[in-house]
Amino acid sequence: MFNAYYLQVLVVVGINTILALGLNLITGITGQLSLGHAAFMSIGAYTSAILSLKYQLPFAVVLLSGAFMAAFFGIILGFPTLRLSGDYLAITTLGFAEITKVVLLNMESAGKALGLAGIPQKANVYNVYVLVIVVVFALIRLINSRVGRAFQAIREDEIAAEATGIPITRYKIMAFAIGSFLAGLGGGLYAHYLTYINPTDFGFLKSIEILNMVVLGGMGSIPGSVLGALILTVVPEMLRFVQDYRMLFYGVVLIFLMIFRPNGLLGGVSLTKMLSTRKRRNLETNN
Amino acid sequence: MQKLRKLVWISLLLMVVLVFTGCGQQGETSKQDEETIKIGTVGPLSGDTATYGVSTKNGVEIAIEEINNSGGINGKKITLIPQDSKGDQAEAANATQKLISQDNVSAIIGAVLSSETLAAAPIANDAGIPMISSSATAPGVPDVGPFIFRNCIADQVQAAQLAEYAVKELNLDKFAVLYTKNDYGEALKDTFVETLKSLDKEPLVVESYVDGDNDFSAQITKIAAQKPQAIYVGGYYTEAAKIAQQAKQKGLEVIFLGGDGFYSPKLLELGGDAVEGVIFTAGFYDKDPDENVQKFVAAYKAKFNEDPDMFAAQAYDAAMILIEAIKKAGTTDPAAIQAELAKTKDFPGITGKTSFTENGDAVKDILILKVENGAFKRIR
Repeated sequence: MFNAYYLQVLVVVGINTILALGLNLITGITGQLSLGHAAFMSIGAYTSAILSLKYQLPFAVVLLSGAFMAAFFGIILGFPTLRLSGDYLAITTLGFAEITKVVLLNMESAGKALGLAGIPQKANVYNVYVLVIVVVFALIRLINSRVGRAFQAIREDEIAAEATGIPITRYKIMAFAIGSFLAGLGGGLYAHYLTYINPTDFGFLKSIEILNMVVLGGMGSIPGSVLGALILTVVPEMLRFVQDYRMLFYGVVLIFLMIFRPNGLLGGVSLTKMLSTRKRRNLETNN
Repeated sequence: MQKLRKLVWISLLLMVVLVFTGCGQQGETSKQDEETIKIGTVGPLSGDTATYGVSTKNGVEIAIEEINNSGGINGKKITLIPQDSKGDQAEAANATQKLISQDNVSAIIGAVLSSETLAAAPIANDAGIPMISSSATAPGVPDVGPFIFRNCIADQVQAAQLAEYAVKELNLDKFAVLYTKNDYGEALKDTFVETLKSLDKEPLVVESYVDGDNDFSAQITKIAAQKPQAIYVGGYYTEAAKIAQQAKQKGLEVIFLGGDGFYSPKLLELGGDAVEGVIFTAGFYDKDPDENVQKFVAAYKAKFNEDPDMFAAQAYDAAMILIEAIKKAGTTDPAAIQAELAKTKDFPGITGKTSFTENGDAVKDILILKVENGAFKRIR
């Protein structure tokens, strides 16, 4: 039953989950719209791939280097733009994504337009899912911590958050850096799973695809992002039988989902809330 | 709230059920027809690059229909399983994996774009399934492994041959190069410049553009200042037509040279007078009086109601080479097919005689076409 094809789709679901969770932290939880998630993914992918190909460093090292490199660029980009309120981040990240693509297209060590081929295939279903689980738990812990509540406060109302003593710029940059870190991590896994990367693969459409997963799953909801990544990866595969009309059906599925669940599939649902209400309900019925 | 939660869980459950039942059924049906030989194609059937993928699929379809109508391979019919890649690397990898582990294909024709082929080929090679790409021209594709072949003229080969032709036959010696910034343009430019250097010529100026550009006046002005005799454009017909027109408007009288990206009736439509005299390399010429070529063109027109392009022709030949190998192997065992494919020598196809080199790259005749009186004409 579990042939190589299912395993492969499963791995891609896992990688997309990590990417969606990263963007969810920035856009869903902290409320800062980023349209350049694929750029951070490409930074992680290229950094880790170059380290693997040129220096044959161990997988864990290259993966972390890629993720930290993406976070570093996230901080650099976040510093000037996140001090402002409003949608400046969306425009800046959009521009940043284009710049990253053009730089990669012209960079000798990144293989220019030909991309990098022959990257060792180190990612597999085990290490990807260990990372997914680690990321999910880390994010749940983060969101329910003081920092996580500050993120949510910023999303709800920046002025009120500032009035209660939250240094909003610092927290916004922090959220952006963590989100970029996860994008870099996902990118590293992607490069070491597909074994071939190319700058055009990390274009605007990829960013939108990840944003779709977050919105479809429900902004701000961690199980939502997981479900969004699962659906948007598995549905196109399931629709293979309609061949040429596949993307048409895919669009129809998206439209129907948004009509019936405008807040996303699991909008406003969080795992901890789900568990705690169940506990409370149990207590109530016991009384 | 409780109702909502129930709904969520039910939809979740439904999803899971759908995933498993949906896939399970496909697996079963693929086991029923053991009597046929299954061949898959991978390429973009949707998205920006769909036109290439659809042409490729259509070319393979014509080949398979022709063989099935004449009794199939050793009495067995061939079934085609086309898979969409959207032009995306991850999707191409998934499609390839699906063809191999779910549909149990004997061989794959694909992928179409160079980038997706480089992502898909390692999967086919690791699984030991022969894969022939009929359009991935980038360097490195056949080097993936012994199971990977390609049936198209590599970027390096066509640029080198045109450079030689231009210097030796056309007696030109002042060249400018203008190329598009992607894998195709980059490879054409590099080889063209290198070949010129090996012939003791140096391009006067090398300029680049990006696909989708509309205004080339800056590049043309720079090129015009060096007064070249010819401009080699490493790119596709849309931009080439615009470049030729804008050069003409600026009064630049040069010969335009190009690669197989020029070969489309659209070049003539968009370029008009300006593309008169353009010379380029191609792998296929649909006005070729050869009987097989005309048979293919007629069959293609009858079925799809349009003229076949180079992608369709090369895919048709790739399918025919594969079918020949399966016939000779007498089995659908992938390893046996691979061994026969590797032996392919001087296969008489509609895109010229094809042989495979040791690492699976095609050696083919390269045609040189010229635009004369608003039509393509073969000059070599």
